[in-house]
Amino acid sequence: MSILEARGLTKIYRLGEERVVGVSDASLTLQAGEFAVLAGPSGSGKTTLLNLLGLLDLPDSGVLVFEGKDVSALDERGRSRLRREKLGFVFQAHQLVPVLSAEENVALALWIRGLPEEACAARARAALAAVGLAGLEDRRPDALSGGQRQRVAVARALVGEPVLILADEPTASLDSETAKHLLDLFVELHRAHGVAFLFSSHDPRIVERAERRIRLLDGRVVADERASVGALA
Amino acid sequence: MSRWVRLAARNLRRHARRTLLTGSIVVVGFVAVTMTAGFVSQTFTSLGAATIRGTGGHLRLLDPKAAGKTDDEASAIFLDDWEGLSALLGKDPRVAQAMPKLSFFGLVVKGDKSGAYLGTGTIPALERGASLASDTVVSGSFFSNPDAEDVMLGSGLARAIGAKTGDLVTVMTTTPDGGLNAVDASVVAVLSYPIKEIDDRLLFLPYSSAARLLKAEGRANTVVVLLKDGVDLDAAARDVASELAAAGRPVVVKTWLETAAFYKQVKLLYVAIFFFMGLVLSTVVILATANTMTMSVFERTREIGTLLAIGMERGQIRTLFLLEGFLLGVVGSAVGAAASFVLRLILNASGIMLPPPPGGTRGTILHVDFIPLAYGLGFAIMSLTLLVAAWWPARRAARLNPVEALGHV
Repeated sequence: MSILEARGLTKIYRLGEERVVGVSDASLTLQAGEFAVLAGPSGSGKTTLLNLLGLLDLPDSGVLVFEGKDVSALDERGRSRLRREKLGFVFQAHQLVPVLSAEENVALALWIRGLPEEACAARARAALAAVGLAGLEDRRPDALSGGQRQRVAVARALVGEPVLILADEPTASLDSETAKHLLDLFVELHRAHGVAFLFSSHDPRIVERAERRIRLLDGRVVADERASVGALA
Repeated sequence: MSRWVRLAARNLRRHARRTLLTGSIVVVGFVAVTMTAGFVSQTFTSLGAATIRGTGGHLRLLDPKAAGKTDDEASAIFLDDWEGLSALLGKDPRVAQAMPKLSFFGLVVKGDKSGAYLGTGTIPALERGASLASDTVVSGSFFSNPDAEDVMLGSGLARAIGAKTGDLVTVMTTTPDGGLNAVDASVVAVLSYPIKEIDDRLLFLPYSSAARLLKAEGRANTVVVLLKDGVDLDAAARDVASELAAAGRPVVVKTWLETAAFYKQVKLLYVAIFFFMGLVLSTVVILATANTMTMSVFERTREIGTLLAIGMERGQIRTLFLLEGFLLGVVGSAVGAAASFVLRLILNASGIMLPPPPGGTRGTILHVDFIPLAYGLGFAIMSLTLLVAAWWPARRAARLNPVEALGHV
């Protein structure tokens, strides 16, 4: 079942008089439970396309369909609601709120839905346990290692039970050992929860382990490859 | 809501030094507002007391025919049998004393020098206890013999005619029926009244002399009533008027507030100064807080981007920053209230002597009143001021583009 379909997405930035093509006429369809990566060199438009697919940015042209509904014309509140209820985000830097504990950072994704305090806390603790951080719930980000912070960010993306998690260069600021563990965690969560993942990355380890590789160059989708069975192993 | 309050409080604590600096501005503002209100309140009380002592009482009783007349016109209209009126007033337990006053004007002469005066005929013993004139004696002694041909002069008037205590002067006036009359009187005291224009014309005669001079024995232009402490002024005025009317002695009763133009002007001036000071303080607090909040938004741009990305509504972002401003106002006001209360106790215990209030003769010991309303208003104003100050930065935070905010360095 398709959860996300992009048709002819184009995004052009204006830097003074200059027009810079971010994404040009990008079309793709993402199925439920896929483990895909937007791959390509720096400046190829990976992050821009990921932002468009995550409704963080608006395309200049093109159509975006989410779970069968055209969401291209959604207003600000509608886009916020969809991000809140259907999507999860993991950024390159962990982007945790420094004054909140690990548990509160995860619960934050539920607070904004207006869920009761206890329910938020319980689900946040479960999400932290799922990413291997049980016992560290009360720690603030500055008392966690880089890998642990990124795991908290993953738990925050996961706690709302999204259908799709968008991860922008999630391993870029981690050492190779930590990055490997994080990637293992993504695979494990993907298998356990059946949630779809879409990465933007040029990290070969992610590209190699992804089931599907959507390659971009100069803002255009130039290849859409499905990996052979067992890529996730 | 508590989770957002918790988050706002932690964000304030995160930048403790900056929060402390802005908070201290709120504290100082709050202390300034409440202390000034307490001091102004005490000044009003002193000024009110001085005004009451200036007229010798809280209530002025006039003949109904004198209502709405000018002072000149009213000087020819008398209440009959002031002693009977005084006896009736004495039945009211709220009345401390009632004394007759005769108002007249004319010339006072010593040798070949003369000066215009505004005279008052009064009962010496009652006047001494109730009026501020007894505080202003600079030479001689306040008159005491109700039947003596004594006179007291303002120092300006005494200087103008070259009179000093012990001198004999002639007090001349026109009687209500148009005749000219005069009495010779011995200067027993020279008074230095705090308002020069009055001091240059001030003259007191015992009631008996003044009544003979005006041919108004047993009568008075006004009867001035001094009330006991803590009496409700308006209720007393209303009751006195109805009691006397019921006894067949209808009078017009005016409270000291109705006739105290100077008091009202000074009060208005103080209120205006207080308002202006409050405005300046609020502006300073707004600018300081807006600066702090703007810095905070700038530093937390990526954090705001993340919150927007995970689906936080723009309104929630705005509320979060407004809450931080409001919280700073509430906590700053609470600390300010405590500081103000303690400072007030210290100042009140210090025994600092203040000069007399405008128009007064007696200095007072500094006492800053506790005005619950000022504390309440200070609390509301500071909290609202901080909300206003946080509005623009909060709006700016809420309008950030999530992609640009996430990429902010």
